[in-house]
Amino acid sequence: MLAYFVIIPILIAVFLYVFPSSKAGRLIAVITQTALVGLAFYLFFICKSRDVVSNIGNYESFLGITLRADALSSVFIILTSFIFLIVAVYTFNEKYNGLFWFLLFIWEGLLIGIFLSRDLFNIFVLVEVTTVAVAVLIMFNRDNRSMYDGMVYLMINTVAVQFYLFGTGYVYKLTGVLDIDAAAKVLEELDKSSLILPYALIITAISLKCALVPLFSWLPKAHGTPGAPSAVSAILSGLHIKGAVYLFIQFNDLFKEVVVSEFFLIIGIITGIVGFIFAMSQKDIKLILAYSTISQIGMIITGLNNDDIYSYTGSLYHIFNHALFKSALFLSAGIIIKIYNTRDIYKIRGVLKRSPLIGAVIIMAILGIIGTPFFNGSVSKYFIFSGTSLPVGGAILLINLGTIITFIRFSSILFGKPQTEPDPAKTDKCKQAAVLVLGTLCLVGGILGEQLIEFLFNVKVSVDTAGYLQKSALFTASAVGGYLIYKLYIKNSPRLKQVREIELSFRGMCVSVGAFFAVVLVVTKLFA
Amino acid sequence: MVFDIIEIFSVLMFFISFYGLITSKSIIKSVVSILLMESAVIMFFLSIGYTSGIMPPIGQNPETETVADPLPQALMITAIIIGVAVVAVNLIMLISLYRQCKAKDWDAAKKKSME
Repeated sequence: MLAYFVIIPILIAVFLYVFPSSKAGRLIAVITQTALVGLAFYLFFICKSRDVVSNIGNYESFLGITLRADALSSVFIILTSFIFLIVAVYTFNEKYNGLFWFLLFIWEGLLIGIFLSRDLFNIFVLVEVTTVAVAVLIMFNRDNRSMYDGMVYLMINTVAVQFYLFGTGYVYKLTGVLDIDAAAKVLEELDKSSLILPYALIITAISLKCALVPLFSWLPKAHGTPGAPSAVSAILSGLHIKGAVYLFIQFNDLFKEVVVSEFFLIIGIITGIVGFIFAMSQKDIKLILAYSTISQIGMIITGLNNDDIYSYTGSLYHIFNHALFKSALFLSAGIIIKIYNTRDIYKIRGVLKRSPLIGAVIIMAILGIIGTPFFNGSVSKYFIFSGTSLPVGGAILLINLGTIITFIRFSSILFGKPQTEPDPAKTDKCKQAAVLVLGTLCLVGGILGEQLIEFLFNVKVSVDTAGYLQKSALFTASAVGGYLIYKLYIKNSPRLKQVREIELSFRGMCVSVGAFFAVVLVVTKLFA
Repeated sequence: MVFDIIEIFSVLMFFISFYGLITSKSIIKSVVSILLMESAVIMFFLSIGYTSGIMPPIGQNPETETVADPLPQALMITAIIIGVAVVAVNLIMLISLYRQCKAKDWDAAKKKSME
């Protein structure tokens, strides 16, 4: 049964490749995609009581290729199929050629494959093919900038995947199996020192995919490149990076003997801080969103590595929430860029007046991402925060303050009088519907937060009213503080331009990969 | 941890080609470095489960002889194919980047892309 989750998107892809320009064909694709979401929910309800395992080719478990869905991966499958449904609706009236549709849905199949696969080598194949598909989608418009960005994305990810493959080789050499569950059993028995090298190799690759400090330079290029269609950017930022975070969870589980979670806690905090510093200095609307993704990923990684069930669950819920509001923001940004014909946030003004619906969606998504009470971000950030001790909690508050400043700056596009007359062309109904659904879910996810967490992750968590009020007070204080800091220091600061110009070249990125690998090796050797 | 010769050799080759990635200005040399990294990994995989005097797992081996582990070899065929595809995509992109930006090295391409 599990193989259908990979095959159906690929069938949609082939179908749309053959009939790229017919509306009926696209309608069939959307309907099939809706059915896939339904199927994902069905799988999720089965997985609540037991894991679903299917062995491809009917070999015994641990010998052949195994697909396995458990409670966590089925949630990710719901998320993937849902976001792709939204994107399919969003692009319904666009005139892309067959190649775009083909790669888009192939990408969905591959991502679901990553969530289902329990085989180390299969994960390598899926990750590598995803990289190629995404690189072609990034360069889809073939202008100078996106050619360079796509090239950098493809090459640096290929390098990372080589590290991963080398690590896989070591795991196979040590255990004699490629199945993650079987390997975990063998690795438990082994001497710690023999695990360090494979762990360092694999986790370097996964950290690059997660865009942790200092390996994040490719992310703004890939997610924020002006030439890429905004649907692609939305999936990249909302969903694709979550595949890497999922692998991060898997491999930290596999190597739990040697994982130094304090190290990744610190790396997560630094990632969050560096992410928002870059985000608040950009002026390209897509780059702001891309850098803000780095900052949010930092927060997620911090929560995952903080040894507390509340933070862990909060992080998982934040993965879910981030997918919703970041896709909403990217897709709305796509509409705005079309209307105003520019990406410069200093030139876009008066979105709320020009198209109230998009403005409302952006407001909802922003309220979600900065963690306003009653929106989804507040619930997940509350849980991450409530599980942390003082220094880490302070860092989480600081990251949230940075996010608030970034989005106060971002929200200046909503008001004021436009410098250039916006394009009067009517906006697309399908696009509006798609972003409206995402925006509304940000509100729903906040109001029903507690119930949703119990429903999705099977963890009983309770929002302590006094704590939530305290968090709301903290939020209000940081919102006011953020506004003041923005007005007084950041708005016209000449430093913004200096920060904006910091950028690593491809060689610089390779150096940072090597350095990160060495640091992980040393840290694991010393502290594990 | 016990290292054997091939293991040490492939680790060395992996990091020497990584050094190539760090130092080379030209994009095509970077592509070649990635190719070499991949070869190092493939060589490492092939050495798994091999001791000298062992038979290759081809055809009908008599049951008395020990054969090398066939799984890594089968996997590496897949890895080679994927590697070829990825390098091909890289080179195609390099060609169109060259046609568009007239740039063969990273710095020039970066400068062009900022315009």
